Amino acid sequence: MFFKGKKNAEANKQVPLSRNLEKNTTHLKQLFSSELNKDFSTREITARYSNKRIKLFFYSSIVNSTKIHEGIIRPLLEAKGENLPSIITLEAIKELTDFDSIIDDINSGNVVLLLEDSKTAYSVNVADFKHRGIEKPENENAVKAPKEAFTESLNVNISLVRKRFHDKQLIAEAKPVGNRSKLDVTIMYVKDVVNNEILENVRERLDQLSVDNVRNIESLEQYIEERPYSIVSSLLYTERPDRAASYLEDGYIVLMMENSSACLVLPVTFWSFFHSEEDRYLRFLFGNFSRIIRLLAFLISLLVSGVYVAVTNYHSEMIPPDLLLAIVSARERVPFPVVFEVLLMEISFELIREAGLRIPNPLGPTIGIVGALIIGQAAVEANIVSPIVVIVVALSGLSSFAVANISMNFTIRITRFLFIFAASFFGMLSLTGAFLLWVMYLASLRSFGVPFLAPLSPSYKSTNDTVFRKIIKNEYFRPGQIKPKDLRKKG
Amino acid sequence: MFKKESRLRSREAFAMIILMIGVKISNTTPSLFAQTGANAMWLMPSISLVVILPSVLLLYYLLKKYEDKNLVELLEDVLGSHIGKVIAFLLFLIFFVLMAIEGRSYTEQLKLLYFPDSPTPFVFFILFAIAFYGAKRGLETIGSASYIFLFYIKASVLLLAVLIFRETITDRIFPIFGNGLKPLVIEGAKKASIFSDVFLLTMAYTSFDSSKKFRLGVLSGFAFVFIEMTFFFFLYCTTFDYNSIDKVAFPFHELTQYVDMGDFFTNIETFFMIFWLFAAFIKYMIYLYFISWIFGAVFNIKEFEPLILPFAFFGIVAGMVPENAVINELVFKSSFMNMITPFFVGFPVLLWLVAKIKGDLRR
Amino acid sequence: MRKRIWLLILFLVPLTGCYDQIEVEQQTYVIAIGIDKTDVEGKFRITFQAANPEVGSTISSGGSQEEPRETVTLVGNDLIATKDTANSVMTKQIALDHTKVVVVSEELARSGEFLRLIQAAARTTELRRSVQIIVSKENASDFLKNNQPLLETRPHKYYQYMLSRATETGIIPEADIHRFFQITEGDADAFLAIYATTQHAEEKIEGNEDQYIAGQIPIEGGNPTQFMGSAVFKEGKMIDVLSGQETRIANILDDTMEMEALYSTYPDPKNKKYRIAANFTKDRPIDVEIDYQKDQPTKINITVPFSIEVIGIPSLVDYSQNGENRSLLEAYIPKFAEEEANNLIKKTQEEYKTDVFYWSLYIRKYFSTIEEYEKADWNHNIYPNAEINVDFKLKQLYFGKMIDDSNIGEVRD
Repeated sequence: MFFKGKKNAEANKQVPLSRNLEKNTTHLKQLFSSELNKDFSTREITARYSNKRIKLFFYSSIVNSTKIHEGIIRPLLEAKGENLPSIITLEAIKELTDFDSIIDDINSGNVVLLLEDSKTAYSVNVADFKHRGIEKPENENAVKAPKEAFTESLNVNISLVRKRFHDKQLIAEAKPVGNRSKLDVTIMYVKDVVNNEILENVRERLDQLSVDNVRNIESLEQYIEERPYSIVSSLLYTERPDRAASYLEDGYIVLMMENSSACLVLPVTFWSFFHSEEDRYLRFLFGNFSRIIRLLAFLISLLVSGVYVAVTNYHSEMIPPDLLLAIVSARERVPFPVVFEVLLMEISFELIREAGLRIPNPLGPTIGIVGALIIGQAAVEANIVSPIVVIVVALSGLSSFAVANISMNFTIRITRFLFIFAASFFGMLSLTGAFLLWVMYLASLRSFGVPFLAPLSPSYKSTNDTVFRKIIKNEYFRPGQIKPKDLRKKG
Repeated sequence: MFKKESRLRSREAFAMIILMIGVKISNTTPSLFAQTGANAMWLMPSISLVVILPSVLLLYYLLKKYEDKNLVELLEDVLGSHIGKVIAFLLFLIFFVLMAIEGRSYTEQLKLLYFPDSPTPFVFFILFAIAFYGAKRGLETIGSASYIFLFYIKASVLLLAVLIFRETITDRIFPIFGNGLKPLVIEGAKKASIFSDVFLLTMAYTSFDSSKKFRLGVLSGFAFVFIEMTFFFFLYCTTFDYNSIDKVAFPFHELTQYVDMGDFFTNIETFFMIFWLFAAFIKYMIYLYFISWIFGAVFNIKEFEPLILPFAFFGIVAGMVPENAVINELVFKSSFMNMITPFFVGFPVLLWLVAKIKGDLRR
Repeated sequence: MRKRIWLLILFLVPLTGCYDQIEVEQQTYVIAIGIDKTDVEGKFRITFQAANPEVGSTISSGGSQEEPRETVTLVGNDLIATKDTANSVMTKQIALDHTKVVVVSEELARSGEFLRLIQAAARTTELRRSVQIIVSKENASDFLKNNQPLLETRPHKYYQYMLSRATETGIIPEADIHRFFQITEGDADAFLAIYATTQHAEEKIEGNEDQYIAGQIPIEGGNPTQFMGSAVFKEGKMIDVLSGQETRIANILDDTMEMEALYSTYPDPKNKKYRIAANFTKDRPIDVEIDYQKDQPTKINITVPFSIEVIGIPSLVDYSQNGENRSLLEAYIPKFAEEEANNLIKKTQEEYKTDVFYWSLYIRKYFSTIEEYEKADWNHNIYPNAEINVDFKLKQLYFGKMIDDSNIGEVRD
């Protein structure tokens, strides 16, 4: 058994506490290598209520010391009372009997109190992990939308979601993951809406993980996805709490972890990657307009370079004569074939993009603009590429930014290269074939059992929120493809 | 996860049948019809329909009666294992030969019109390689892809119809019976196998969400594609005069080459070629998949999907047998279509008679 | 290692491409093709006129001294096969995809050899069915050489604009290869091709704005090339030339022609010295009634609904206010038009023995099979003997935006 959750930990062989405080202390100190671990702290006091020695163990770096002082040490020194829980004024206090759970608790920022002549230890939550405050979303910008984004703290994130969705059925179930460093993965769902099969599937996958450590959502995504080699992701990564809340409401499942300023939504369809939350905040016409533009950007980004290569290499009759002659006159002095030209520019565009991402902040904007302009302009003037290729590549690059989701963005950029190769191979014949097979590949995918292109095909009873959405008043159903328990949303 | 239910609904059946038969509008079939029909060939699909429709309805009636059986299972159930298998194997042979012949015809069109310098086997290979990879993804994916692309394919066809409409002259359909009513009816009846794909699709009878949805989809798609075919044949008849129409080998491509969108987009045939290719690819995916399926069913091979590769290969080999495209079209395809028509008209009647005598229908 | 080899092959593909891969700049785009007769039967002089991409393009800096077009003439047996021979002069592979016109010399057209050559061309996919057929009075090679447009120096633009505008005004017919084949193979009717020339006739005839054929128009300045009138092809052989005016009438009487409004002048019924300028619009399809009897002459009644917008009355007769004058004009214009139409019909019946209006379409209804229809013989039997009656029906008469003309007498006072 590699996966010890808290619940089944009791079933395992455990080391119980002994009555001897010294013995316990030595054991615990040994476990945490206290002579090496600088921030592992021990404090011994004599409690007033029982006149017995009590030892406090904690990591000084992850606890709130004021809380310890005000809520534990002072009451123990000053207050009188029947037993320990009645003296300590802090909210959560737990009784522990074995070393395993003591270790877990200390690691997650609790203070553990060992009592003289007692087989029970007490654990008080005084954790104070440091994290950023709530900031604006960095990657999923929007004009007309709430500006809060998730931050690297689980509690804050859950609070951000609960703030948006007040329902007693909204469950935040914790599931520990990792053999060595145990971290909770929080599964959020609405209990009377979510589909049990999918939920069970997620729980199973989390249970089956056998790794020492899963640090955050980003690695978790790769641990639980079905097809690691696939060109598309099967989980949606979002940093917007409003988006997470709206998915929860529709019956989706949201995964969260400490240390990640985002959450994972599952199951996903193609449309989850295509939509942006702002589409729903904008009015019917405006939202759909921006969707058309995005669809256009999607197609341009995928196909324009490939089509240009195919048309100029194999189907020159298709180009209107004026444009054709313009292309010819520009290309007469270019020393490379069209494919090479396009690949050259596409690769330099990707270079600018990658470099722009890694470059230190103050240099960023300069390099971006200068790089693009200089490479484009100078390459044209040096007759290395023709100006039309610069337009084509710039168009496809620009359009790729309109596909905001990072996973889909990569999908498109990689596919674009595939299409350029296909187009150069046999013109429109192979390009059409490649596109068809690509779409069929998407259609054959399933994310946690849900067809990737649903509800376009296969169809389900839903609001048919695919390329276009309906007027918000007419959205009666939850997405039928994820089989929610409660299909009807309103009306 | 939701393994029990099928993804295939009536709209997928609708799309599949339209693509399978609809593609025939745009290949050499119209020119085959024009050889005898001349400017009256737009009437011929109606005659073919009248000939084939009773058998189609009979077969679907039997499938409904026998519930939960696909074509081969039905054949074996009614006619007994041996005779049923023989007929099913005949079906397999017919569709395999059809696939090979039409595959060759497509290749020749592509080669002649768009890739004149490429060798035929190479174009053939690419066509079938793509169809093979698509067929490998399974029936559900093929169904979904058919539905997704159906709209765009038909939209492009509609655009073509609108663009060519300016060039058509309605009076060209007169004299109304072309070369005479008698040859028209005879030839139309002989070529009734143009709708044979309706029989092929019954292999998937049990794979759909419900058999009712399947019937609804196929029969409405059938009606749609019949109207579309008549309409397009009508367009061909009104674009080309009666003396020219039988000289045109690929009327669809002649139209796409002829039309223009204003003065600037004058050569837009490649645009239509894209959608035509989508349809053709999907058609061969369906064909490859179903042929392997029938073969698998006849020889009790449960996992028939590995068979798709050899059949794609043999399809190319068989398609390369005729020496040139004209022989392929005018000799092989025409006489083959005539040959198989009685079979398709006959076998559902045979099934029905046997079932009637056995008393199965009174259940 | 095997993976690496595969990857290498994969990257080689785009650099070489497959059989039909060709870069755009490796092709020459022929815009016009000229065909002439030679002394040897079965051989033709073929002229290719290609556009020079470097002229008129702002992208390229150099090469502006080059000619906007390259014209090459050579002798060959077949249009497509001659393409390769032309490569002895032209540097790149010749593409006919963007060809706009085929120019045929009148000599060749009249010899009937033309059909042979153009039929071979229709077999290839390169030459589109929408290519227009032009018949030139002189040799096609001379026509292409002498045609030096001043404004639209790029040849494809020149033909595109020239043909589309001239067709709109009706002085030349729409004459694409597709129509040529449909009519010629249909073996009834005559086909009208565009008539043009770069040679000016010696004697200029005095005529009204459309009563010329190409070469006769007294124009000063501009390009020497004139497009006017049409060449009549019967059974693939040219038999006559129609003037611009006759071509217009043929266009009006033929519903399969796209005919827009045209400006024309009519004699002033009150003052014969002047002519009235008017805009003629055929706003509905013509109505053809045919009374076909097997052994009697066929009766054909044609009604042409049209409307007239009067734009200029130089005689200053008051036609708009004065009711009497107006009804005079309303009666006069149709009569005038009918007269012109009847002249043309008579000419076609007697001289050509076939029509130029594609009217054989209307008689087909009376036959149920092609056999019967061909037996009845439109060209030899029905049309030349038919009693044809043309009726121009003036539906509306407008008078432009001015209510009345200024009285010249008063102005001069």
